[in-house]
Amino acid sequence: MQRIKFIDRMASGRVSRRQMMQAAGAFGVGALVLPRRSVAAEVLTCLEWGGYDSPDYFQPYVAKYGAQPNFSIFAGEEDALAKVLAGFAADVMHPCNYSVARFVNAGVAKEIDTARLSHWADVFPSLQAAEGVVMDGKVVMAPADWGNSSIAYRPDLMPPEFAQNPTWAIFYDEEYAGRVAMTDNEMAIVIGAMVGGMPYDEAYKLEGAALEAAAKEWGTKAVNTAKFLWNDSSEVQQAMASGEIVAAYAWNDLVANLRAEGIPVELAAPKEGMFTWFCGLTLLNTGKADEQAAYDFIDAWLSPETGKALIEGSGYGHANIKAFEIADPQAVANMGITDPVEMMKNTIVFKTPTDAVQEGFNKVWADTKALKY
Amino acid sequence: MTDTAASDPLAPARDREVLRRRLRGYGLLSPALSVTIAMLALPMAALFLLSFWTQSGFELDRTPTLANYAELVRPSAEPTVWFGIPFHLAYPVPAILMVKSLVMSLMATLAVIALAYPMAYFLAFRVHRHKALWIILITVPFWTSYLLRVFAWKVVLGFNGAINSGLKTLGIIDEPLEFLLYNPGAVVITLAHSWVAFAILPIYVSLEKIDRSLLEAASDLGDSRWQRFRRVTLPLSAPGTVAAALLVFIPTVGDYVTPTLVGGPGGTMIGNLVQDLFLKQNNAPLGAAVAITMMGIIAVLVALFLWAIGYARIRSRRL
Repeated sequence: MQRIKFIDRMASGRVSRRQMMQAAGAFGVGALVLPRRSVAAEVLTCLEWGGYDSPDYFQPYVAKYGAQPNFSIFAGEEDALAKVLAGFAADVMHPCNYSVARFVNAGVAKEIDTARLSHWADVFPSLQAAEGVVMDGKVVMAPADWGNSSIAYRPDLMPPEFAQNPTWAIFYDEEYAGRVAMTDNEMAIVIGAMVGGMPYDEAYKLEGAALEAAAKEWGTKAVNTAKFLWNDSSEVQQAMASGEIVAAYAWNDLVANLRAEGIPVELAAPKEGMFTWFCGLTLLNTGKADEQAAYDFIDAWLSPETGKALIEGSGYGHANIKAFEIADPQAVANMGITDPVEMMKNTIVFKTPTDAVQEGFNKVWADTKALKY
Repeated sequence: MTDTAASDPLAPARDREVLRRRLRGYGLLSPALSVTIAMLALPMAALFLLSFWTQSGFELDRTPTLANYAELVRPSAEPTVWFGIPFHLAYPVPAILMVKSLVMSLMATLAVIALAYPMAYFLAFRVHRHKALWIILITVPFWTSYLLRVFAWKVVLGFNGAINSGLKTLGIIDEPLEFLLYNPGAVVITLAHSWVAFAILPIYVSLEKIDRSLLEAASDLGDSRWQRFRRVTLPLSAPGTVAAALLVFIPTVGDYVTPTLVGGPGGTMIGNLVQDLFLKQNNAPLGAAVAITMMGIIAVLVALFLWAIGYARIRSRRL
């Protein structure tokens, strides 16, 4: 009643300034002093690649907590790192062998206590000790998924000569202008340098004037040849499905997804080499959620069921040996090589550039893109 | 001063009254003022401050320096040629994107005015019943998210999009037109559509305010319809048109969502560079310097534009 009266008086202009100030002051003080409503524990926040936010990949976590964690999707590790450094409070991040060092060097990663991961014992021993998983004797990334980066192409739309002698050169070839899609990543410069005859071991650590020259030659060609530079895999999959582009830098999941829709698509083994990456989960020290939730999430990713979903759904490999035992044998057979060590022997494993090199690449790649018209 | 104060015994009381009124004015303003300060002035000041720091690796060097601004204008002996224009800069990207963004925004603004003016004219002079309904109908596109509207253009202009499949069905083309999407043109089209409703309303208001008897007088004195439009309607609607142009031009220069989605590699604008510097290259201070410089350039351009068209004169004529 008092409240209504006050509003009435206010409406009819019978409230003095003093009374008004008193009321407003009382409200303000009250709002500050009253205890805040207690809130439930912070929800886990994960920085993830697009597509990996599907609950298929962390079912045990959902079963335990009854809900999915919060996701923030990134297009490349550097975006994610900048976001974390800018103050984004994430608990878990999904880097890869070649990029995890950036997070460690930036001081945002935490050591993983493998004793708290129930599936750790089933991880390929080679991955357990691989470079990128262990840094300075500490486990900084729990390996989860591995796969290839190569050229996916439409055999029905590409000339047959390409299928016989696949090459990365198509991404720098005037003849394919507007019909291919490169990844929006400095890899475009690295691969260009390889097309120019430089081995990967030199190309990935280009610096200074050599880097600028490579960017000017190969980066510009890549940007001018590409129909678009893709940032999320659904974008490139749609364009490939419609025939808008006939070849793209892609991962295994593109091939698996398009084949599932009945679209003919192949993953080439280019003469300059095909790349292998392995990625995993890293604990960040910026998070606000309970650490146990983060461990449960990582453990869920390492579970054989997740591996089964990865192998069958995307054609990726998984770090858990048991995943290959329970997955559909046909899907396992389609993968060809199921041992990550074997795969790494036959392909080029992505390497970790130093921070200075990575920052140089970030800059020249952004500049190269900006200068296109 | 002291003499008059001493000679006038009422002066202190009057001064107090003036002060009290002034304070009351600020008191009444305070809600809006505090929001403006908290949401606009403080972030802007933070951005300004940030632009004088530097980034070294993962660390922020807080020593105040003009290095970021110097980087933007550092000369180079070897020019970078872009569209035939030589840029004698060591780091030409911000300058080039600035020019490009201004040109693209200008084109979008011209397109918006060309689209909005006839619509507003129709609304003001031809619609007599249900005006409110018409105005609501014009805002209908704004009931969906901006992002959705941009994506809609991706669908319209796309390889298998509405235009291409339409033309193909009609037998006009055999192969889909490739030049529709992922270029600066697509960005300009999308921006023009997205902002047109913002422009219709101010133009409509200024047209609506025109005294109809002036038009009748012009006709009575022998003006043709075109002369009447040129000499009466157009000058009197100028304030609204200018406002609409600024309303579209200023925000579109810094837009980065639209170029990201429909621009492709060639459609990048200055907003994309700022975003890239902040969120990918992890060089927030340089990003802040680019943003502040861009703001300065836009402010100068707008001031020049208003001065060139004699905005003050136009405004006073309206009264």
